[in-house]
Amino acid sequence: MIEQFKEWYINRHAYAKQWKERTGGKVIGTFCTYVPEEILVAANMLPARILGSHEPQDVTEPHIFGMFCPFCRDSLAQGLKGRFNYLDGVVLAHSCIHFRQTFNSWRIHLPVEFAYYIPMPNTAQTPHAPAYHRAEVDKFKKAIEEYAGRPIAEQDLDRGIEILNRNRRLLRKAYEHRKLDNPPLTGEEAMYMAVTSQFIDKEEHSNLLEAVLKELPQRKLPRDAGIRLMAVGSENDDAEFFKMVENVGGTVVIDEQCAGSRYFWNESVPNGDRLAAIANRYLDRPACPVKDYPAHSRFQHVLNLAKDYRAQGAIIMQEKFCDPHEGDNPRLKKYLEENGIPTLSLEFDSTNPLGPFRIRVEAFLETIRGEELF
Amino acid sequence: MEDGKIKGKAMVLSGFDQEESAREALEQALKEAGLAREAIGIIVTTGNGRKAISFAKGDVTEARAAALGAVFLYPTARTVIDVGAEESRAIKCDATGKVLDFAVNEKCAAGSGAFTEAMARALEVPLEELGPLSLRATQTIPMNAQCAVFAESEVISLIHSKTEKADIARAVHDGLSSRVVAMVRRVGLNTELVLIGGVAHNPGFVESFKRTVGLDDVRTAAEPDFVGAIGAALAAAE
Repeated sequence: MIEQFKEWYINRHAYAKQWKERTGGKVIGTFCTYVPEEILVAANMLPARILGSHEPQDVTEPHIFGMFCPFCRDSLAQGLKGRFNYLDGVVLAHSCIHFRQTFNSWRIHLPVEFAYYIPMPNTAQTPHAPAYHRAEVDKFKKAIEEYAGRPIAEQDLDRGIEILNRNRRLLRKAYEHRKLDNPPLTGEEAMYMAVTSQFIDKEEHSNLLEAVLKELPQRKLPRDAGIRLMAVGSENDDAEFFKMVENVGGTVVIDEQCAGSRYFWNESVPNGDRLAAIANRYLDRPACPVKDYPAHSRFQHVLNLAKDYRAQGAIIMQEKFCDPHEGDNPRLKKYLEENGIPTLSLEFDSTNPLGPFRIRVEAFLETIRGEELF
Repeated sequence: MEDGKIKGKAMVLSGFDQEESAREALEQALKEAGLAREAIGIIVTTGNGRKAISFAKGDVTEARAAALGAVFLYPTARTVIDVGAEESRAIKCDATGKVLDFAVNEKCAAGSGAFTEAMARALEVPLEELGPLSLRATQTIPMNAQCAVFAESEVISLIHSKTEKADIARAVHDGLSSRVVAMVRRVGLNTELVLIGGVAHNPGFVESFKRTVGLDDVRTAAEPDFVGAIGAALAAAE
C-alpha cells in the first residue's frame, strides 16, 4: 500500500491532469513551501508544488544565471519542457531570490491565468511579522476569491485548515514509526510519502496515510536498520541518493528538509481569527534558513529531531549555490558535532555522481561504526 | 587564400614555441600551394596564440574568424558552434559573418573536447574510436556529474558496475552536448546551425548533439578545424 506514494511521485503530472478532469477544479503550482495552501484548498483548488526532475537539462541557460541553485533551474526546466502545462495558476510566497527568479521567469515564458506573488517577510521573527503577514494572506485570499469568482466563507477556511492539519498530523504519526529500533519504512519510502503530500489532493493523501498507518505496525523491512541517519538540508527529493545510502548499511530515520518534515511539521492553531491562524502557522513553522534570522531557531530544532529519532549521524545535503543553507551549514555542522552527532557534508546538484558519494557515505558509516566498537 | 579560393592549408601541433609552430604550418601550406613566401600579400592570425606571431600583419578574434569562415562556407549559417579542445563557443552572426552575440563555456571543461579526451583515456579507447563506439550504444545513461573531474570518477563507477563501454561513450557525448546546447541557447537556438571545431569530427558527439537539440540534421563543416583559419584569411582580404 505504501508503494502508492512512489507511484504518485513518479506519475505526479498524470495525477494532476486526472484530478483536473475528474473534479473540473483548478490546479495551482506552488513555489517553495511557504504558500498558505489552506486558502487554495478552501477554494477547492489543488496546490501542486513545482519540483525538478533530477534529469540533465539544457533549457534554462538563457533565463537563470548559472550561479543560481540547480533546484531553481531544474524546476523552471520542467515548465519550459511543458511538463506543467496543466497548471491554471502559479503562486510564490517569497522565500529566496533564486526562486523568485524562477517564478518571474515562469510568469514571463509560461503565462497562466493566475500568477500571484505573496511578499512574505523573511524576517519572520520580528514582532511586526504576524500583522503584516496576516494582511498579505488576506490579500491573497481576496485575489483567489476574485479568480474563482466566488467568496471563501469562514467555514471554507475552517475546512481548508482542517484538511491541511489532518494531513500534517497523519504525517507526524507516520514519522513516529521511524523512531523504532527497526523502522518499518525506509528513508526513501518516507521521502515519497512526505513529498507527495505537496502535490496530491490532501484528502486523498490523508486517506492513504490512514490506511498505511494501520499497516505499519505489522510491517518489517527485510534488513536491519544499520546506522540511523538524519538528512538535513535544502529541498531534496533525490530518491537515488536515499536508495544508495540505504543500500550500504544506513537508514535515514528523520529529515529536516523542505521536501520532508519542514513542510508539514506544525499545524495551524485555530484562534478565532482564521487568517491569523494561517499566517502564524507559516511564520512559526520550522524555518528555512532564509527566514531564520537573527536567531538560528532551526539549530535547536534539528538537534531535537536528531535526538528524538536517535540519529547516529547527520548527512548535511547542501544544494549547490543555495546561499541561505550555505550560510547556516558551517555553524550547524559545528553545533551538531558539539552535541555528539557526527556529520557528513555533501554538495548536491540536480543530478549527482552516486559513485563518489557512495564512497564518502560508506566511509562515514564506517567511522560511526568504529566509534561503536571502542 | 586567393580570390575566395583556398590555395593551401596545414595543421601542426603547437608546442612551447608558438611562433615556431606557426612558421612550420606556414611553410607546409606554402608547399601545398606551390607558392613562395613572397607570394603572400598579408598574413592574419587567429586563435589563442594569435598575438604571439611576429610575422603576422594583424589578428582577429576566434569568434570573428569562426563566423567569417562559417558564413563563407555555408552562406545561410547564422549560429556557429565551435567545439574545440579547450573551449567551446556559440556565435550568432549575420549574413556578412559579423558577430552579433556570442557565448563561451567559461566555467567547466566538461563542455569542451578535452573532456572527451580524458574520458577516452578512462575507457581505454583511442580518441578517434570514442565516437564510432558511442554510435553502437543501446541505452542512454544520464551523466550525473556536472564537472569534468567528477564525471571521470562517474565513468569509473560505471566501468565498475560493468556498464557497456558503448553506453558510457554515449553518456560522455550526451554530457558534452547538453553543456554545449545550454550555451547555444544563451545566444539563441535556430535551425541555421553549423558545427565547427575539432570535436565536429567526432560522429558520436554530432549524433548526440542532434538528439539534444532536437534537429534531424545539423551541418558539420567538412574540415571543421580549418574554419577559423579560413575566417582569418577572409579578414586579411578585407
